[in-house]
Amino acid sequence: MTDILKFSIPGKPEYVGTVRLAISSLANCAGFDIEAVEDIKVAVSEACTNVVCHGKPNREECYEVDCEVGDGRITISVVDRAGGYDMANYQRPVLDCDCPKEGGLGLFIIKALMDEVDIFSEIGMGTSIKMVKYLSRI
Amino acid sequence: MSLQLQSSYNNELDQWELTAKGEVDISTAPQLRKYLDGAYQEKKADILLLLDELNYIDSTGLGVIIGAFGRMQESENRIKLVNPRDNIKKLLSITSLDRILCSDC
Repeated sequence: MTDILKFSIPGKPEYVGTVRLAISSLANCAGFDIEAVEDIKVAVSEACTNVVCHGKPNREECYEVDCEVGDGRITISVVDRAGGYDMANYQRPVLDCDCPKEGGLGLFIIKALMDEVDIFSEIGMGTSIKMVKYLSRI
Repeated sequence: MSLQLQSSYNNELDQWELTAKGEVDISTAPQLRKYLDGAYQEKKADILLLLDELNYIDSTGLGVIIGAFGRMQESENRIKLVNPRDNIKKLLSITSLDRILCSDC
């Protein structure tokens, strides 16, 4: 049994914090511990930031944050129609050196914090980042 | 969900001491960039970023700090993060930025 929640957010920087608060509250209600809530919050916020950064042509357009809660996990998809990008061009940020580069950190952080991450991007259409976090079984 | 910044120059230690309170994300990162650049342009010296009261930083905020780190490297100055909270320590560790930006975190 799962519950589905859908948010539609204008692609503006000032609303990323609002999504962060909403997702924290949702993950907390779903029974995740403080550290997992923080991981989910950061990952979703990074996905939203990605939309806002890369969706420049039409910032007014909304993107969707769809959440599915239940069955011991939370699944969150951040879906935009901002034109997509070529995933083949994504390069893991170079961090193990004395001169790290700006940028490219967002997807890297999402992958590090969530249990499963799937990214679909279609050039000319948009991008979907689907993330799953499981409730830890004690 | 805002960011408050305060800076002062420590003449004894020849360094900037900049306190960041609140959250650094895509909406507030430009404010941090402007502040860091402003201080460094006024006086080229090391910058200590005091993070005791910073609740949140994301990749855009880390990007701003990396950018400042790169620009300061040319004149052999450093930017150091002091007292980050556990959630921020985790991000710094994941990204390996703790190795270059922290001396004690």
